[in-house]
Amino acid sequence: MKLKIELREDVLKDLNTAASFNRDLFKENQTLVINLMSSPGAGKTTLLEETVKRLADEFKIAVIEGDLATDRDAERLRTLGIKTVQINTVGGCHLDARMVAKVIPEFDFESIDILFIENIGNLVCPSGYDLGQDYKVVVLSVPEGNDKIPKYPVMFKRTDITIINKIDLLPYVSFNLEEADRDLKQINPKAQLKTLSAKTGEGMNEWINWIKDVYRTCIKP
Amino acid sequence: MHEMSLMHEIIQLVSEDAKSRGFYKVKQIQVIVGDLSNVLPDALELAFFYFSKKKMGLLDEESQLKIIHEKAIAQCQTCLHKFEPDFRLALCPKCGLLNGFLISGETFQVESYEGSDEIEN
Repeated sequence: MKLKIELREDVLKDLNTAASFNRDLFKENQTLVINLMSSPGAGKTTLLEETVKRLADEFKIAVIEGDLATDRDAERLRTLGIKTVQINTVGGCHLDARMVAKVIPEFDFESIDILFIENIGNLVCPSGYDLGQDYKVVVLSVPEGNDKIPKYPVMFKRTDITIINKIDLLPYVSFNLEEADRDLKQINPKAQLKTLSAKTGEGMNEWINWIKDVYRTCIKP
Repeated sequence: MHEMSLMHEIIQLVSEDAKSRGFYKVKQIQVIVGDLSNVLPDALELAFFYFSKKKMGLLDEESQLKIIHEKAIAQCQTCLHKFEPDFRLALCPKCGLLNGFLISGETFQVESYEGSDEIEN
């Protein structure tokens, strides 16, 4: 006998359950979790280095680094004295909640105030996976061009904050900030836009203050 | 780029459910794929072909995959106009306000499957 079963089940059901588990654990421990995404080379790791340098006096910070191979990025953060765990996905194009759950035991979350998760460099796949984070942040660097916002709308729709990085290069490349702002609003009116250069430090204060504000108002009032 | 692992997830989900209902085979799986779900239907089909050849879970070479395509549709929260958005997902083409809200197009779900309790060789 054949029978049709109406299952109506989300394909990512199990991964979403894992994400909820992560989220509960982060919440219990009052840890702010930021999922950092971008295409390769947009400057996620440099931004992270400069961010933790400015926060380390006040907050206990930890990092999860996602890459296909090597632990080079993790080493960069460890040099700054930051507890960092590297996940190598080998061929995988994104991090998912199960991968994050697997490395959770390596941290002492009770003492961690802020966890940054640096996702795999990819402007497509990581946007679809909830890791249990509080905020999704996408970094777009000036040399990539502002047309990446309309070309990859799903990523920009699903992120809370868009950071335009490497603004020190604006005089040398054709990146139109006004168009970027307009396109972003038409895709995701609630998204916040921040412009900075992790290298020169321009605009970094606003980003750092945003993190501090969020921590003090939403995570540990 | 991750359709192999997604298809793996689908076959596990369906096979477990089918086993719990006493089925021996899964003849067909219907999946809804939204325009904005970041999933490539062609790559899903290729992954299904591969796994059915390998008889993963309760599949065999005869098992079929049916993909139902879901269009991206947004609705303006101000004038209630429904529209098919281009990349400007929030821009209402009627009133021009940035108040569009996606009501479909992001779905990626197993809609149904057909199980069989006949034991075949």
